[in-house]
Amino acid sequence: MRTQLWLSLCLLASSSGVVRAAELQLQPADVALTGPGATQRMLAVAVEGKQVVGDRTGQAKFTSSNPAVANVTESGVVQAVGDGVATITAAHEGQQASAKVKVTKTQEPAAESFRNQIIPILTRNGCNSGACHGALAGKGGLKLSLRGYDPEADHFALTRQAGARRIDRQEPAKSLLLRKATLTMDHGGGLKIEANSRDFQVLADWIAHGAPGLRADEPRIQRLEVFPAAATLKPTDGLQIVVRAWYSDGRSTDVTRWAKFSSSEELVAKVDEHGQVKVAGHGEAAIVVWYSDLVAASQITSPFAGSDRLEQQLAQSPRHNYIDELVLAKLRALRIPPSGVSNDEEFIRRAFLDAAGILPTPDEVEKFLADSAADKRARLIDALLQRPEFVDYWTYKWSDMLLVSTRRLPQPAAWSFYQFVRQSVASNKPWDRFARDILTASGSNLQNGAANYFVLHKDVTDLTETTAVTFLGMSITCARCHNHPLEKWTQDQYWGMASLFARVAIKNGDRSGEVTVQAQPSGDIPHPRRGEAMPPTPLDAKPLAASSVQDRRAYFADWLTAPENPYFAKALVNRVWRNFMGRALVEAEDDLRQTNPPSNPALFDALAKDFTTHQYDVKHLIRAIMNSAAYQRSSKPLPENAADDRFYSRYLIRRLSAEVILDAYSQVTKVPTPFNQVLQGTAGGFNNYAGYPLGTRALQLPDAQVVSQFLDSFGRPDRSVACSCERQQDSSVGQALHINNGKTLNDKLRAKGSRLDDWLTEKIDDEEAVRRIFLLALCRKPTPAEQDRVIKLMQEAAAAQAPRREVLEDLVWSVLSGKEFLFNR
Amino acid sequence: MLRLDAKRPASFCDGLTRRDFLHAGALAPLGFTLPDFLCAKPPAAGSRDKDVNCIMLFLVGGPSHIDTWDPKPKAPAEVRGPFQPIATSVPGMQLSEIFPKMAKHADKFSLVRSVYHTATAVHDTGHQMMQTGRLFSGGVEHPHAGCVLGFLKGQRGEVPAHVLMPRPIGRTGGNMPHGQSAGYLGKQHDPFVLNADPSDTKFKVPDLLPPDYISAVRAERRQKLRDAVDGAVESFEKSAAAKQLDDNFNLAYRLMSSPQAREAFALDQESPAMRDRYGRTRFGQCCLLARRLIERGVRFVTVNMFETVFDEITWDIHGSKPFTDIQEMSKVVVPSFDQGYSTLLEDLQERGLLATTMVTALGEFGRTPKVNPAGGRDHHPGVWTILMGGGPLQGGRIVGESDELGYTPKTKPVTPGEVAATIYKGLGLDPHHELNGPQNRPLPLVDYALQPIGELF
Repeated sequence: MRTQLWLSLCLLASSSGVVRAAELQLQPADVALTGPGATQRMLAVAVEGKQVVGDRTGQAKFTSSNPAVANVTESGVVQAVGDGVATITAAHEGQQASAKVKVTKTQEPAAESFRNQIIPILTRNGCNSGACHGALAGKGGLKLSLRGYDPEADHFALTRQAGARRIDRQEPAKSLLLRKATLTMDHGGGLKIEANSRDFQVLADWIAHGAPGLRADEPRIQRLEVFPAAATLKPTDGLQIVVRAWYSDGRSTDVTRWAKFSSSEELVAKVDEHGQVKVAGHGEAAIVVWYSDLVAASQITSPFAGSDRLEQQLAQSPRHNYIDELVLAKLRALRIPPSGVSNDEEFIRRAFLDAAGILPTPDEVEKFLADSAADKRARLIDALLQRPEFVDYWTYKWSDMLLVSTRRLPQPAAWSFYQFVRQSVASNKPWDRFARDILTASGSNLQNGAANYFVLHKDVTDLTETTAVTFLGMSITCARCHNHPLEKWTQDQYWGMASLFARVAIKNGDRSGEVTVQAQPSGDIPHPRRGEAMPPTPLDAKPLAASSVQDRRAYFADWLTAPENPYFAKALVNRVWRNFMGRALVEAEDDLRQTNPPSNPALFDALAKDFTTHQYDVKHLIRAIMNSAAYQRSSKPLPENAADDRFYSRYLIRRLSAEVILDAYSQVTKVPTPFNQVLQGTAGGFNNYAGYPLGTRALQLPDAQVVSQFLDSFGRPDRSVACSCERQQDSSVGQALHINNGKTLNDKLRAKGSRLDDWLTEKIDDEEAVRRIFLLALCRKPTPAEQDRVIKLMQEAAAAQAPRREVLEDLVWSVLSGKEFLFNR
Repeated sequence: MLRLDAKRPASFCDGLTRRDFLHAGALAPLGFTLPDFLCAKPPAAGSRDKDVNCIMLFLVGGPSHIDTWDPKPKAPAEVRGPFQPIATSVPGMQLSEIFPKMAKHADKFSLVRSVYHTATAVHDTGHQMMQTGRLFSGGVEHPHAGCVLGFLKGQRGEVPAHVLMPRPIGRTGGNMPHGQSAGYLGKQHDPFVLNADPSDTKFKVPDLLPPDYISAVRAERRQKLRDAVDGAVESFEKSAAAKQLDDNFNLAYRLMSSPQAREAFALDQESPAMRDRYGRTRFGQCCLLARRLIERGVRFVTVNMFETVFDEITWDIHGSKPFTDIQEMSKVVVPSFDQGYSTLLEDLQERGLLATTMVTALGEFGRTPKVNPAGGRDHHPGVWTILMGGGPLQGGRIVGESDELGYTPKTKPVTPGEVAATIYKGLGLDPHHELNGPQNRPLPLVDYALQPIGELF
């Protein structure tokens, strides 16, 4: 009886979100303090199951079993006193937790390490930031490497330059370095380090010990450990993050005070410069920690309020494939209920627009609605994937990505490139094959369109960076000049990868616009700082032997398309997922990096694995996504999931792209858009061009240089730089003015031979006109209320002697300018 | 262009909904009789905030510094060129004789005679740098200074924060020019592009007002119908993207029917005498419209003197076709500039607006000191002269000088980034204020190492 009561109380508590009794734990559980005065900050956390659910450090009482070995302060900082072993205990609300501390080398003199201590102090205090001495030109005569990526040069600058006045080994406190930083002397950067602070002391001691530089034998940092690794908290909760660095000699050090912190989602959790987290809202945030050239993260989850129906809502939500299990698991963790299933009208419009960029015809809609088979959605998806418009749409998409355009390519070359992409899409060429064909393309660019990739990117750095964005979904550009401040990539790795692209030769061919691309056996691109070429090395991989005469591009392609490559499949998965789900797992879609974590890592891994094991079959991936219940959810928010915009609890509505809107205008009005001018490559202005017959749709254009005010206004990409940011999906007043007053839509409504002409000939009545335009544009019937409102306005217009054609034009305009039309939902 | 969530929110007078707007529209949908229903305030000087505005006159083509504002009377004939210097209202400041009107207003502007850049000597590099402070590389689309201002301060009332006229600069030989948009700040902050010539007798801003065949009654009907079919409300309620579209449609409606906006663009309300005073040229009428827009709340106006450098008489005086020669420039381009620019300064001062309106006139480079065999001068980014005044900037000063032959800066070399820093400081912005660039990379308005030109303040 008693047990039962206890159980039911527990259930009650958990289902209403009340915190259960949690156990107290000390982190880190094992501490090794090395050297005199070494310290480690401890965290007393409440743990439920395996999850950290609260920070009790502030309230807990700390004691040391052996103060002659280690002290512990009220706030939980353990300090080495003498060699030996001690146990640190924290007590809070009747619970106790303990951790072991081993103290060594307290009798050995401290030897400050320039690399492991001095540089981190300079970084932590912002001395070598881009705004200060880390700027390319330095500041006030002192130039340090950005965030300390070049310690050797920094040591030289600090100890030798400026007549070696920056340090004074006899009287460290008189060193320029310290006088400036403490503002006892004029300093443009202001006060950076308090006199007699701990940082000050370390710097002074280092100078007093002769300001030694790098030592070949000194331990190197290997990894960072963050405490807690993850926590589930609620708004207004606080949490201290503790960071421990591990070195090659097995030593570990508390580096919390020199680490830099940032939050991936400030609206969910903020973090201050000391690593103190404050939960601000619901959702997930990664607290990113940077120290030395390493980054690590602590995952903060702040579940939504949900409701007591949550479990039921989750249980009832359909599961069509593995995607749904993983999406729903995330939703459960965050207490977000999924919306219901989209209706058939919503689904067919959505599926056509997302997969092929077209609207279904009224016939197609009606046939689909009448179909009562259980698998009709799956069959519709299969049929869509076979349509020629599917090929148009995805060819356009990959042409955006690959910058197919007459902007920098002569027209025959651009067309040849386009044909290569188009044939690859039409044959559903596996993505690894597609990438390899491009990256190892040789021969005439007019015969092998893929070779134009090397014509567009003749410069080795451009080629290296574009390849990273295009096929790895990541930018490594920063690392060209300095170690990447947001990523793990170093300048050495950048130039190692660049070496893989240093041996491409381009020669003029026989025909106009023709060049031939060939791998060549020699040629090097020097590392700008080292002055010599780095061995040709893919990111984090083994270098190709310098003596090898193999096409280095093939070596890169082998690495890129190997199933073990951690980036290649994900880069594509993220792009395709975003196309259908409205938000990429990692935003932006080509900004994959360690410091920008995915919203659902398990799902991301599973999609990439599925894609890889199915031989990089893009259609298979599309099918999996479109058939998932997650994709087929309604866009209508529930009260409890309205705030979610990234965990896929509902279909995220989005504005249609420029090309899709323009084509839909043509489809609905039956008036094609003329494309008869093309921007000139160099001379300025544009040329008349008759190569696109009337009826060519915007999504069929092989070139982004075709003149169209509408497409530009609605954010068509330039295709000049590989970046998903080129396409702009936001709305502007210019767009609204253009739809209201501009020529694109108004001219189609007034054109001869339009659908309106047919309706006038047929003399259809108001009700029929409303029914038809709704079906054509919105793929649904009007509701009785909508129909009444609209017909009433039409009748008022007729009563006021408005010409019939004008009334119909206004009706069609009102639907084609509305949100429901301009958005996919 | 129009942002609701900028750091300082756009100052809408109240929480008008579209329905309210339609109601207002129903009173007098597209007429001029609307009372102050929509909070449009008469352009009384007292109602304005103290923010500094800016008019940037972009002298596309690149004026020859030696033939204009940095005359070299002592140089050999092949450098000196055909014109003599004249004195101005500021003792010691000399201009070329072809600017008699400017000479009378020299107290209202300063000359920076030592601007230079080291990038390729083509037009678009200079266009990029003079409008954004930066050379474009690495795919980062830097925003125009006027777009940055709009992004940081929002719009005043119903008028756009930044208006570009008459059209964007087109291609001048290289790539599509960069630096004329909001770039990574997003399309919403792009300038409002006039796309029309204010000197045209039928001048009308395209897309701003409905075409003739859409009467006021029809426009109102369309809006009512649009509201009536705006179904699926539930799906859209929580979507930021849908809200943005709604906001933009509402702003467009307000722009279309706002007396403030309508009036701002109604150049025909200026008296014929005033229009004559600015000169009946495209540039002159742009200057007048710029003044009119600033007076009615626009924060930044960019006037591109030319759209291209081909087959048109411009500052691009290579001497041979399709370009211009020195004489054509002095007979066509210069008088139009002299009149428009001088009148603009004078008119702004008469209206008490000069103290809060910076006026800069600048090109993308100078011209080669030595006249070429075709009787023209070619691109020369080594040194050139720009004009800056109004707002907090001092007039009547000469900053920097070029060497005796006008090849390079002799004192106080000034880079385009420093010009941008000066504009930002003049606008009351911290030149090193950080914007969120692509991938959250913090990007200062101008590079940290660059400072405003102190001599101008």
